[in-house]
Amino acid sequence: MRKTWAGLGLSLILAVGLAGCSGGNVNNNGSNGAADNGGATNGKSGTETQTPPVESGKPVQLKYWTDDRHDQEYIKEMVNAFNETNEDNIQVELTVMSENYAQSVDIAFSSKQAPDVLRLKSGNVGEFYKKGYLAPIDEYLTDEITSKFGSLLIDNVNRFDGKVYTLANTGLTLRLVYNKDLFEKAGIEKPPVSLQEMVEAAKQITAAGKSEGVYGFALNFKSPKSAFDRSIREILSLSGHQGLGFDLKTGQFDFAPYSQVVEYFKQMHEDGSVMPGAEALDIDPLRAQFAAGKIGMYLSFSTEPGVYQDQFPTEINWGGALAPTIDGQIKGTSEIVSAGTWLGISAQSANKEAAWKFMQYMYGDDILKTYHEKGFGIAIVPSIVEQAQNPEVNGMEGFLVGEHDSLWPVSPTVTPEGAGYADAFYKYILAGGDLQAITEDLNKRYNDALGKAVEKGEVAVTPNPGFDPAKPQGN
Amino acid sequence: MGYKWRRLGENTLFLSPSIILTAALGIYPLIWMLRYMFYDYAGYGEPLFIGLDNFQRLMRDALFWESVGNTFIYAGGKLVLTLPVSMLLAVILNGKLRGSNLLRGIYFMPTIISTAVISVVFYTIFNSYNGMVNTVLMKLHLISEPIEWLGPNLAMLTVILVAVWGAVGNYMLLFLAGLQGIPKDLYESASIDGANAGRRFWSITLPMLAPVAQLVIMLAIIASLKGYESIMLITEGGPIGKTEVMYLYLYKLLFPVSTGSPVVQQFGYGSAVGFATAIIVGAITGLYFLLSRKMNKVY
Repeated sequence: MRKTWAGLGLSLILAVGLAGCSGGNVNNNGSNGAADNGGATNGKSGTETQTPPVESGKPVQLKYWTDDRHDQEYIKEMVNAFNETNEDNIQVELTVMSENYAQSVDIAFSSKQAPDVLRLKSGNVGEFYKKGYLAPIDEYLTDEITSKFGSLLIDNVNRFDGKVYTLANTGLTLRLVYNKDLFEKAGIEKPPVSLQEMVEAAKQITAAGKSEGVYGFALNFKSPKSAFDRSIREILSLSGHQGLGFDLKTGQFDFAPYSQVVEYFKQMHEDGSVMPGAEALDIDPLRAQFAAGKIGMYLSFSTEPGVYQDQFPTEINWGGALAPTIDGQIKGTSEIVSAGTWLGISAQSANKEAAWKFMQYMYGDDILKTYHEKGFGIAIVPSIVEQAQNPEVNGMEGFLVGEHDSLWPVSPTVTPEGAGYADAFYKYILAGGDLQAITEDLNKRYNDALGKAVEKGEVAVTPNPGFDPAKPQGN
Repeated sequence: MGYKWRRLGENTLFLSPSIILTAALGIYPLIWMLRYMFYDYAGYGEPLFIGLDNFQRLMRDALFWESVGNTFIYAGGKLVLTLPVSMLLAVILNGKLRGSNLLRGIYFMPTIISTAVISVVFYTIFNSYNGMVNTVLMKLHLISEPIEWLGPNLAMLTVILVAVWGAVGNYMLLFLAGLQGIPKDLYESASIDGANAGRRFWSITLPMLAPVAQLVIMLAIIASLKGYESIMLITEGGPIGKTEVMYLYLYKLLFPVSTGSPVVQQFGYGSAVGFATAIIVGAITGLYFLLSRKMNKVY
């Protein structure tokens, strides 16, 4: 009998629990869904899923989703300031996603609970556009805005089929990150400017510090694509070649320049200059080892100064320098990546005008300027670059946009059969093989995939025989 | 008649939650997959019907077949180590050992620890630059250069060891349950007849455990063939694909890892790979069941 009552009691508790999980105000499900996904909000209560039009004094509720966590305190502050000061009775609820942003956005759109304003990045904007998530903003672009951002409108980045979907704020520069103390200890005066110098420097640093576990070079080879896209990409663009193996002049993939750089990486591996275990290294453990003074140099994004200020505070004397080039000659420009996109408006938003007003506020000079000065990103909007002070973050001076940095046209994204370029080349570095055959195989497979993608209308390629890598945007 | 209808109604009512959940979470995704394996679909736009192209690609996909080979090595290694160790532990802990309950809890612990935590812990133990294993070996002057535990030659062995550590407690518990079902009087009469411990194990424990062992081994085979989580966290299938098992390969097709550069999901080809992997796992499990029929007829 006691067991029966215990069973009934347990069932009741479970039933109440389940009801508690599934019930609730249907109007709340959008924000709850986000919070369940690991998101944090700006403290304003989530109210309605489909925001109502402005009527009878009821505020217009907007949802703004981002996966940027490094700037969330500042953005939260700005959103709250907007909520308090705007005269259009607009309330914005910020949700900061911790992970699986793209999947969360997919789910939100498929269940008609999409945010009104979304953080867009070069890695997701193309797919969001193709999925029909984004609303064009051309109708809102005034002459003033066009003149402020016009030079940064790039096809397949923020402009698709002639329509603009987002505007630029910051970009990431890529640099050689090096430990000045280890360079000095090894008797090297300056960071390498050619790949041969890089190979030599890595060797010297290893020779000077191996007994203490110090090695000349490392990259996060656990994901070869991540490792190469933060290193070889930059070496190539500064050397005058597109960094992901695409030849902008012919409109075809050509991994021959890529393979030249790979040879030097293989040399460092054979010399024993690469930190042991690098093949299973993620970027954060790599940074931890660099902060501990165990790595002479690596290549990475302009996020590094912030990382060494907050995530892995370090005593070492380090700096950022332009990446080395294949032969020591700068024949191109260092590609600014993840640039051209920031905020966009959802195609499902019932309040696009209100969303634009919020976007306009966020794209104001003060916010963009402070964003740069606080070191959250490197400003690329010319008028902001002129006004803003340098960020007060140690090491950032080496990453600021300079005469050798520029945006590049986008290369097409294709999915070849078999191994991608990074895996194929990394296999060559570790296991050897016929580099020419590997390169030809990659060219064939990537160009086959490109041909199919063009045929299906997924990508459009226009060869530009006059492309000048020193002026990638043609100005 | 009225009673029959009422019974049918009641039965349907009781079964409906299970039927609905199975249909929504099991059958619908299966039908979805069976459909899309004949399509080229990246998650947006109109899926393009391509007939058997995905299967033709599968046949010539060297990476997939390498991952199948790696899966056999991984599963084989894991089974060869896990099953004897877990059975041995179960036999030891089934005896009148002081603190055996505590030891059972300790050995079972890895089963309830998150794979993510286990993976991070083992990464700190085995990484080459400051991992505990290398540090100890170097301090003892047993090695002069760090051993690349996660390098191309040893990474598979390392992920197998992690898997074994995580699985032993689970199978030990299942074997223990089987051992406790063996009547004690069998051992008593064997002892009276003068059988020693080894003889009792060989002639009583093993045969009586066979039906349970058949099930445990089947579960272990399926789990080993499908396992990929700790590999994804420790090596991500690398270096150079040496630990890429087929379910990890499948996962990457459906949920490609973005590193800032755009990535494309391959739902169509992923569905075909999913179908092929299910056939492989199903065939091996079926074959095992066929070969192990005798285990069920011991007594």
